[in-house]
Amino acid sequence: MAKIVVLGAGIAGHTAAAHLRRKLSKDHEVLVVSPNRNYQWVPSNIWVGIGRMKSKEVIFPLEPLYKRKGIGYKQAKAISFHPEGDSSETKPYILVEGVFGDNLGKQEKVTYDYLINATGPKLAFDMTEGLLPATNKVYSVCTYDHAEHASDALHKLIDQLKKSDKKAKILIGTGHAKATCQGAAFEYILNVEKELQKFGVRDKAEITWISNEYELGDFGMDGMLMEYNGFNMKSKDMVEMIFEDRGIKWILGAGVTKVEDGVVHYENLEGEYKTESFDFGMLIPAFSGHGFQAYDKDGQNITEKLFRGFMVVDADYTPKPYEEWTVQDWPETYQNPSYKNIFAPGIAFAPPHTISKPRKSKNGTEIFPSPPRTGMPSGITAKLVADNIIDSIKAGKESLHHKGSLGNMGAACIASAGYGMTQGSGVSITTYPIVPDYKKYPNTGGRDIKKTFGDIGLAGHWVKLALHYAFIYKAKMKPFWWLIPE
Amino acid sequence: MTQRISNAQRSKMQNPLIQFFKFFYLNIRILKIVAGGHGGTRK
Repeated sequence: MAKIVVLGAGIAGHTAAAHLRRKLSKDHEVLVVSPNRNYQWVPSNIWVGIGRMKSKEVIFPLEPLYKRKGIGYKQAKAISFHPEGDSSETKPYILVEGVFGDNLGKQEKVTYDYLINATGPKLAFDMTEGLLPATNKVYSVCTYDHAEHASDALHKLIDQLKKSDKKAKILIGTGHAKATCQGAAFEYILNVEKELQKFGVRDKAEITWISNEYELGDFGMDGMLMEYNGFNMKSKDMVEMIFEDRGIKWILGAGVTKVEDGVVHYENLEGEYKTESFDFGMLIPAFSGHGFQAYDKDGQNITEKLFRGFMVVDADYTPKPYEEWTVQDWPETYQNPSYKNIFAPGIAFAPPHTISKPRKSKNGTEIFPSPPRTGMPSGITAKLVADNIIDSIKAGKESLHHKGSLGNMGAACIASAGYGMTQGSGVSITTYPIVPDYKKYPNTGGRDIKKTFGDIGLAGHWVKLALHYAFIYKAKMKPFWWLIPE
Repeated sequence: MTQRISNAQRSKMQNPLIQFFKFFYLNIRILKIVAGGHGGTRK
């Protein structure tokens, strides 16, 4: 009998737990440890953030589902990793602390045979002074409760604009020089613009995109060349076309350093220190590791064996210049090299480097997007980790046949560009591979042009809405859920 | 120079009939890429 502990119940953790439970007999224990009591379908938070969805539509409680499906659940947060056990515990374990009810503050050792670290990122608002959501007129859509606050503030502003001749400035983008998840901010800015149109106040608002990207459409993936309407088009040109069409201004190469009440301070790649005022802002924070510590059986600190911010996996972390980066640097199995029974799919693994070209300002400040690993890649990497553990348990020896490098994996980004069954819009972009392979596809920017395409229109909104319902269905593990691909 | 979305393109983008067929086309195209498999990059 094996015990598999899954840390985290986001897209990666929940996907891994669901597949493990489906494919392993009840002789084996699957235990999810998460501080969150709800599963949330994060991609739909942008609709919560404009008030078109209620948060209850994007979340559901985990405990009743796990109880029904035979998955153990502890509402707790990880404190430290002990992959060799200690003087009193021979098995590897995680020290966890309860975060709710009778277990609040209580610490316990959770032993495991296999550990899946799917803790995702820490939303590091503290890395940018004054960025805390719902303060200084700046908001976030990273979680459903953040998104609710954003929606309330947006609609308050819309009401003010309707009742007066006041003009407002809206600023949306990234809130740190090395933030990622530009896609979510891109969706949000287009949805906000559409809502202003709907309420008849668009002409009273100036909307500006602020981002650490060097060019529009970088999305933390170094941009892409894609097929659009039968032609090859750069993502830069596509996003520029959309922003021009919507009357959205942009500020690029901006590393936000500080937010004050309605004022953002940033440094640009020219080394200039500038400010931008706003009445409503939504800025994506930096993502960081959780700062976990790890100890060996003698209590010696071995954190560097497990973490370099995020978890160390089978990537090539050798420092090298951008020109020498290859897809082979990226991990395939998400297994920790020191402790073979620990895996880190989703956002929890430490990437070997960024995907976008690293750039510094004239003052030496690094300003470029971190690599995105959200959504679909999280689900795919979690499933392959679960499959490798299942095979290893069944074979009685290590099996790592399932592989999935971001350099050999496609991704679909269906970005909402406005909500509504007849008036909505979506920007659909697929990319293959996620990490550009410049050797394999030298003439098309490292991407397979047959699998990298873009489309704009109402159908994109319908696709995004269909995916919302399909993935909530899948996450609730309803009949035949596993037929829906990650 | 920045490309513009023409009025003709915009009406196609919002035409429910055209978009109805595009919905299925997009789903199939996305599914082929997403479910088309993944793998390693090292030998």
